[in-house]
Amino acid sequence: MARLEDIPQPTRDAVANLPCPSFDTHPFVAGPPLAQRRVAIVTSAALIRRGDQPFAFGSGEARFIPADIPAAEQLISHVSINFDRSGFQRDRNVVFPIDRLRELAADGVIGSVADTHYTVMGSTDPAAMIESVGQIAGQLQQERVDAVLLTPV
Amino acid sequence: MPCVAIGAVRVQMEKTQPPRGLFVPFQLGRPLGEPEDVAFQRRVLSQALGLLERTDGPVILADFPDDPPGWSDTPGWEPPVLPTLATPTDPTGWRDAFATELAALRPAWAQARARFGRSTVGLSFVSPEDWPALAAAFAGGELPAVAGHTTAALTLRFLCDDIKAFYGEAGQAVGSAPSSRQVDGWFWRATLAGRLLVALRTMAMASDNNAMKTVGGRFFVPVPWLPG
Repeated sequence: MARLEDIPQPTRDAVANLPCPSFDTHPFVAGPPLAQRRVAIVTSAALIRRGDQPFAFGSGEARFIPADIPAAEQLISHVSINFDRSGFQRDRNVVFPIDRLRELAADGVIGSVADTHYTVMGSTDPAAMIESVGQIAGQLQQERVDAVLLTPV
Repeated sequence: MPCVAIGAVRVQMEKTQPPRGLFVPFQLGRPLGEPEDVAFQRRVLSQALGLLERTDGPVILADFPDDPPGWSDTPGWEPPVLPTLATPTDPTGWRDAFATELAALRPAWAQARARFGRSTVGLSFVSPEDWPALAAAFAGGELPAVAGHTTAALTLRFLCDDIKAFYGEAGQAVGSAPSSRQVDGWFWRATLAGRLLVALRTMAMASDNNAMKTVGGRFFVPVPWLPG
């Protein structure tokens, strides 16, 4: 089992009681069949390219990830020490499933994989990310993406 | 923009009400569930992306039915052999003992790099052979500067991250994948490096440097692994 009750304290209470934003509206968008969709990943794992500055704690910035970035060039710079990294050490797809998306595209399950993907720092007030969200949305539209997969850590 | 979120904390998805969310009963840090298990990852992805074709919104929350196969401990997993090292009492002792342990683990780390085709070590901008002297400087109360990092506190934080990554990779170099609990238990209870990080936390929290206090208290040692 790996459910909320299995998360060690005090992280369990912190995630269970985390203040979450609520919204007055619930936009809901349909789209073409999955086999025609262009898919991008947005992850809150604070992934960086080797040699780049790690994300700063509380930073609302977003970074763009080229789809062809080699696995050996990706590091995880999330500030929290309360989640597992051993899985990412073995296989980046457990956080950033770029190889799985490529396979799904090759098999015709999805239409294609976007050229650009995105990462932000989790454990950050979403209000700090408003400008970044606009940057991400602009690039998604430019690349004609019509499906976004969010992968938190 | 049609979005689907994978979430490991169902109560957070219930609060935020995303248009489409797949709750997964996986541990934090593994939204796709299981490293190196292509079939399992594809099942998770297929269920998540499949929600994009549903139109019965405005909020669709679904549950992935299975726990990941790697949640249980792996019987017979054997971590790399460590030298027997007493807990040092001064910076020079920490430097020498840490260097000895790192040297003993270098072959396993090299095996891990070959096995996984990469390493996730690199946040500190410092090579492993220079870690013992750097850690000893911090243990002695110095605030050494490292090019690329704006403060000594950040340097130490990312050094700690790199040490944990090095050991995590070395610990998984051979055999079947251990559970994350096995890796953590080995690092925090069996290695000198685990004791070093606890000592650095103690040093940082006693520092006059407020940034050092903050990072030391929050970002070196997870609470479940604090002594006592």
